Amino acid sequence: MSTNLQHADHERAKPQAVESVAGATMQTVAGAMIVVGAIAFVFALVRGAAAIAWQAYLVNLLFFLGVAQGALVASAAFYLTQAKWGGSTPYRLGEAFAPFLWVGFFLFFGLYFGRSLIFPWVTHPIPQKAAWLNIPFLFARDGIGLGVMAAASFAFIRVSRSDEARAWTVATDDIALPPHSIRVFAPLVSVLFAVVYTLISFDLVMSLAPVWRSTLFGWYFFGGAFWSGLAAMALVATVLRGRLGEHNLFTNPTVMHDFGKMVFAFSVFWVYLLFAQYIVIWYGDLPVETFFIVQRAHHMPWSPLSVACVVLIWLIPFTVLMSVRTKKTPAILGTVTVLGLVGMWLERYVLVVPSLSLDAIPFGPTQFLITIGFLGAFLISAVPGLNRVAQAATSGEPVGDDVE
Amino acid sequence: MSTIAIIGSFADDARCANAIEELRAAKVGEFNTFSPIPSHRIEHAIGRKKSPVRWIVLAGGISGVLTGLAITIGTTYEWRLNAGGKPLLSWPPFIVICFELMVLLGGIFGFLGVLGLSGIPATEIAPGYNGRFGEDRFGIVVRCDEAEAARVESMMRESGAEEVVREGV
Repeated sequence: MSTNLQHADHERAKPQAVESVAGATMQTVAGAMIVVGAIAFVFALVRGAAAIAWQAYLVNLLFFLGVAQGALVASAAFYLTQAKWGGSTPYRLGEAFAPFLWVGFFLFFGLYFGRSLIFPWVTHPIPQKAAWLNIPFLFARDGIGLGVMAAASFAFIRVSRSDEARAWTVATDDIALPPHSIRVFAPLVSVLFAVVYTLISFDLVMSLAPVWRSTLFGWYFFGGAFWSGLAAMALVATVLRGRLGEHNLFTNPTVMHDFGKMVFAFSVFWVYLLFAQYIVIWYGDLPVETFFIVQRAHHMPWSPLSVACVVLIWLIPFTVLMSVRTKKTPAILGTVTVLGLVGMWLERYVLVVPSLSLDAIPFGPTQFLITIGFLGAFLISAVPGLNRVAQAATSGEPVGDDVE
Repeated sequence: MSTIAIIGSFADDARCANAIEELRAAKVGEFNTFSPIPSHRIEHAIGRKKSPVRWIVLAGGISGVLTGLAITIGTTYEWRLNAGGKPLLSWPPFIVICFELMVLLGGIFGFLGVLGLSGIPATEIAPGYNGRFGEDRFGIVVRCDEAEAARVESMMRESGAEEVVREGV
């Protein structure tokens, strides 16, 4: 395609370059959130509400690690699909939350101190499964898994931020493959994600109901994590759109449309995996498999929460984002992703907590404040990454095909 | 004044779309476009409204779901069989049948809708069509007054036409 004919597409007004969008204020607020969460956590341990505190700790660890890792894998997936619809910005956006991977890696080992309150098989060992479900092996394999995952993610980020890779993301005229190092690390990160997060889901969610099993559960778990990463990216895009001055990348309706499509598509994928598990367990009707779903979907007090998950993660995104216009309207897309992220948090909650506290929902000020603390840690980790997103989105670099 | 046809051929869809936009802006005669591939650029330049084929697909999808419900519920009542103590009308497996029939009928309706709306199979070749417009070239055929022919030709050339020829109609 010759350049002189494309000038009409790309000769829109250049955006005002923005160096920083997240700074001292955000760090202070996020830091205060961490302090509040930490105080609430310690307070709960001292006051004898340790079980409740550890449940919130595990739920939030799973959720925020999932968002950070899911978004990073989205960046790798963009290379695998040779996505150029937003220049380098979607890549920076996917990598923005990555520092939390190391935070989550260290927080994971914190679970060691709550092991007897989290893992039922610590106090009531299951002899047949002792070879797999024992504390040293669990922390070794999951720790190594999360460590390798974080290290591979950062190696990927390094090559992704190189000039060579950036040049490839904005070269809209040729069809060359991404740089060789990207072609190594992008598939590596994606495959590791599937393996490590299957392991995490088996060990940190499924083992809380140690007799229950579902082979598809790993897929379901990391499919949800991937979607929460995409939703967080779309949310950041809609928020930054109004904060980066005129003509930033996110004011391009085609780019917003693309974010909306991603959120729509993987919401459907999540419900597909949910139903694929449900139908097999329903048909087989084996008590050892059905109890996990019956507890959550058919018994109070959990059934309304289970329904809410499906509504927030699938029904609302599916119906609302079906139309092109709603995908391109930032207020609507932003609202849907906020609701979706709340839904995904709730889903992790409904997966974990009923195994430990079947008859009552232990959500209260303690769990809320611990959640706030994790959110603070997540936000403070995202500060440098968000500034990179701001730079990329206001650099005025060309993006792929503008025409619908 | 007699009407004549001017045929411009283009090497890529960007130039072709460019020419279409200029022709539309200049409001000269009526024109046809030929493209070897479906091109969003050209669709955009033509400014055509969204195809009604999606409503046909929707109708197909809904009739698929209704067919699925009729089959599953109908056969269940026709042959009442208690399996595993489950209720007679157990909806989870019905979803699968309804979903598949929705996809099947939606697809078939969509296929037939596209054929119908785009007039396929065409019984006669559109005037000005050239075999290369089905291979590697994009074409625009403008029917206009002879007096305007020179202007149209120069517009096409300026937009990057490789070749512009006149034909009597």
